[in-house]
Amino acid sequence: MLLFRSEETVDRWCGERRIPRRPLVTLEQLWQLAVVWYASRLTLESRRPAPDEMVEVFAGIGLTGPFWDPTSDEWNEC
Amino acid sequence: MADDLDIKVKLTLYRTIAETARVPGSAEVADAAGLPESAVRAAFVRLHARRLLVPEPGDPTRIRMAPPFSGIPTPFPVEARGLRYYANCVWDAYGIPAALGADAVIPASDGFTGEPLTLQVRDGRPVPHPYVAHFAVPAARWWENILFT
Repeated sequence: MLLFRSEETVDRWCGERRIPRRPLVTLEQLWQLAVVWYASRLTLESRRPAPDEMVEVFAGIGLTGPFWDPTSDEWNEC
Repeated sequence: MADDLDIKVKLTLYRTIAETARVPGSAEVADAAGLPESAVRAAFVRLHARRLLVPEPGDPTRIRMAPPFSGIPTPFPVEARGLRYYANCVWDAYGIPAALGADAVIPASDGFTGEPLTLQVRDGRPVPHPYVAHFAVPAARWWENILFT
């Protein structure tokens, strides 16, 4: 995943590659994901969230739908 | 038990990265953990199977990704604790200060124009900017080609 100044440069990046624009994530949302995934990474308790936990984390910061579901098969044809 | 060994290998690996900003290979992890290198390499394989590490393609003694850290330089450097770490993507760039519990400066750039866009984490919070992250690959496919995602 990449960083962009604005939606406009995302659209230009997608247009150049002829790929659809996917959902955008704000820096605040990205920080919350980073904390959930990595804040305990240097500790004994560290582990990767399970798929159902991932869905819950994404939904908790407003990222919903099949794009954010690691068990979804709706993207197999993409 | 393999689980205990895997935890020891993982913690040794991550603590070495945190202290040095380098991703150690199996020999260095073995020395630091007091384990045979063969046991460390076997643990790398199990940790990869559990999606916790990504080995260097073609060289199972080295680690390409110990998320959020990258084993090679990337376009996502992270300056923290007086060291320069490398992240795998913009999500992981925030993941490094989250993992270290440290302030950070992240000299990133716009994915299309290349314009410098500096991110910062200060006192446990990201400094606000109107920038956005774009996830080109859906969650169900992140691990299929993790080196691209």
